[in-house]
Amino acid sequence: MSTITDSPRGTCALGGVNATITALERVIPIYHSGPGCCMQNSAGEAGQSGGRSPYQVGSVSTPCTNMIERDIVFGALDRLRETTEGALEIYDADAFFLLSGCTSGIIGDDVGSIAKEFQERGEAVYAIESPGFLGESYRGFELAFEAFLDQIVKPADEHEPDLVNLLGIMPYHNPFWQGNIEELTRILERLGLRVNTFFTRHQGIEDIRTSSRAALNVIVSPWLLRSAEEQYQERFGVPSLRWPGPPVGATDTTAFVRAVGETLHLDHTLVERVIAEEEDYVYSYLATTPEGLSWKRFAIVGDAATVVGVTRFLANDYSLTPAVAIVTDPMFRDDDKAAIARQLTTLEYAQPPKVVFTTDQWEISQELRLHDDVTLLIGSTNDRESAQESDAQYVPISYPVTDRLVFNRSIIGYRGSLTLIEDIFTDL
Amino acid sequence: MATETYSGIREDRPQTFNDAGGSSVDLTDRFKAGCFKAADRTFSQGLQCQQINSMAALLSLEDSAFVVHAPQGCIGCAAMANAGYHVGQAHRDVSIIRNARIIVTNLDEQDIILGGERKLHEAIEVAEEHYHPKMIFVFTSCASGIIGDDIEAVVASVQPDVDAIVVPIHCEGFKSKICASGFDAAFIAIKDYLLPKKRLPTEEGLINLFAPTSVSYKDQVEMERMLEVLGLHANYIPFYSSLERIRRIPAAQASTAICKVFADEFMAELYNEYGIPFSHTVMPIGIRNTDKWLRGIAAIVGKSEKAETYIESEHARVLPEIRRVRERLQGKRVFICGGTGRSFAAAALIEDYGMQLVGLETPTYNADAQIDIDHLNELHGDYVIDVANMQPFEQVNLVKRLKPDVFIGVAAWTAFLGIPTTHVLDMKRPTMGYNGILYLGDKMAERLDNPGFNKKLAAHKHLPYKQSWYDSDPFKFIKPLEA
Repeated sequence: MSTITDSPRGTCALGGVNATITALERVIPIYHSGPGCCMQNSAGEAGQSGGRSPYQVGSVSTPCTNMIERDIVFGALDRLRETTEGALEIYDADAFFLLSGCTSGIIGDDVGSIAKEFQERGEAVYAIESPGFLGESYRGFELAFEAFLDQIVKPADEHEPDLVNLLGIMPYHNPFWQGNIEELTRILERLGLRVNTFFTRHQGIEDIRTSSRAALNVIVSPWLLRSAEEQYQERFGVPSLRWPGPPVGATDTTAFVRAVGETLHLDHTLVERVIAEEEDYVYSYLATTPEGLSWKRFAIVGDAATVVGVTRFLANDYSLTPAVAIVTDPMFRDDDKAAIARQLTTLEYAQPPKVVFTTDQWEISQELRLHDDVTLLIGSTNDRESAQESDAQYVPISYPVTDRLVFNRSIIGYRGSLTLIEDIFTDL
Repeated sequence: MATETYSGIREDRPQTFNDAGGSSVDLTDRFKAGCFKAADRTFSQGLQCQQINSMAALLSLEDSAFVVHAPQGCIGCAAMANAGYHVGQAHRDVSIIRNARIIVTNLDEQDIILGGERKLHEAIEVAEEHYHPKMIFVFTSCASGIIGDDIEAVVASVQPDVDAIVVPIHCEGFKSKICASGFDAAFIAIKDYLLPKKRLPTEEGLINLFAPTSVSYKDQVEMERMLEVLGLHANYIPFYSSLERIRRIPAAQASTAICKVFADEFMAELYNEYGIPFSHTVMPIGIRNTDKWLRGIAAIVGKSEKAETYIESEHARVLPEIRRVRERLQGKRVFICGGTGRSFAAAALIEDYGMQLVGLETPTYNADAQIDIDHLNELHGDYVIDVANMQPFEQVNLVKRLKPDVFIGVAAWTAFLGIPTTHVLDMKRPTMGYNGILYLGDKMAERLDNPGFNKKLAAHKHLPYKQSWYDSDPFKFIKPLEA
């Protein structure tokens, strides 16, 4: 089910699959689609996430059958076959994923049958039915994980007690995805854990294949990967700890660390020592700017995980006033919305903000007009117009972000929370 | 109305080829002998689709809303164009920087089976209600085209209920591999839906200046400055334009364009329908092209003498400066990749600086391209031509093989080969006219003298191609089509 949307924050199922696949090293997508899909997807995902793009393959360097009218009339599996042959010949890669677009999806070209032909020859060629009309970007992220679990992950003989899979941060769909994964990895490693992230540190298809060996999935999203969570448990015996987004700041990050420690029965002394050291690090900096940020009443617009984490941090740890929190993920489950709203309204001291769920830019702008007393608008580049209209300070942190470049910056965890405060500071 | 209507699909033009490669002299001989074979690539990388161009061409129009009848992914490049629109507004000192009003019908599985016409109808009404625009442009997609939604019927049925003029644009991606077709689709719609049907009284000195989105504000100012010297004033269309300005198109004394493949067909239609003469020459980059462009428009409005005086004075101003930069660039070997307009424009630029062309990648080979190629053959002798819309795998193979001193084009791939890279496409800075030449010359010279970033990048990161690919025939996947 989908609705007419004004300036949607994301692309299609194919775009979501592609953003996920291209974040894996030495993995090449092959589009069975019309011309243009690869460019639309890269421009719409990586291109809107802080100005970077996957360097191995993306946009017009993506292998593609470029289906035109005659291919739609007659079918084009032969073209897909020869395109895959060509890709195997020229690319030095660990795996190839055949991805169907709207054109091949509507006419019913079976990309799986071509993948099977190549697998029978011993080639690492997989297929994902991913026509754009199946849904938006997050649906693609889910489809990619379904494919990983169906086609890549192998059962493990045993679980390694110090190995965890860190899941729930979608690549190229959040400007800080990489830095945020790095900060969470850093924290988990301080607890003596090894971390499968799949998308950073030159990990790739092999780490997905052996992810069944993990003792735990740590899923940092309030609603994504429910199906993957079930599959990991049912088929591979890997349980999950779900956290409603990457924690931001000392309070929530400490709660997260304790939860991981308890779930994995980690040494209590170690956990508490890490917490004490990390909190001391954060407060040693905050101590130097007790009046660094003037009081602000803020509105925040973005994906659920970012909105939850940042709102709670700024309200609970930094004593700013949340006026309205607009969650832009296209979500359909009422219990997901209720859980997110609960996170946003159970604050320590602050009055809870108004919580709004909408993906529609017109509705977002209309909602923001109701809060003309906010002095800080944290959102996406699309929300700059609203900030300029109401003369509020504007800080872009949520996808789409096209007016700043982001490499490894993190705005979550212990250290990232300091960076977030740096970003919000202004001398005006 | 003319009896034969242009379809907007560039492949339909006679002797137009997208897939070829080889020596410039051989290709020229074959083309002139009429034995250029239609071919296709058995392996290819993705392309830019025509919907991307249709949307990019119109997205900065004032008082407009844009309804995209597609799954959500088909607005990816519109989001990018929207970012460019933000920058364009900033350069034009707009204080509240607007988003383009883009509404997507979000076709889903159910719509694919049952049709999406109802949703389209509703989306147009939403655009009207939310933004009260003067124009609502409706863009089709692969999905809406294959399922056979009748866009014209929806537009006809909704039009009486909305104040905006609803303009359908047929830009289904699967209809063309030449993305410039999307410009034509946009102009065909402008002509059919927005232009007054009758010739307006001619406004002396008014020139329709058709410019694609890739032209920076600095370049717009330079173009307008050059026209003003001739006593002309520009109606700059469609970038940052409006319904009022579009409606002034038939009042112009003449038309010209900044890009070879932008509005060329439209200008011919304006001549047929309204008798407006036009100049279709080149993109005004480099001395020779800028001269040619200016002379072209001057000739049809009787300002040739004024143009010659001006050209002489501009040469006196910039040629000494060019000589200074030329000392740094003379004899350097160049590989050029660009769209049709930019690739030949870059070739003209390197002529000013005495550089040597060793490779040229351009999307389409046809009679129009042959005019430029003839000139380049005279200047540079034999060099390699890759008729390709990007195809980075062929590009990196060729560049590694030909070892140019500098690559002019999108640097995303050749930067990893360690050679200096630069571009004549800069949507934010000057590239055109007499002022643009110096900026580009300095940029190239500085890049050539200081290749540190690319060299160090190449030492650390590699593109994903096998060594055996770099050793293979770059054109091995281009196969003649059976008749």
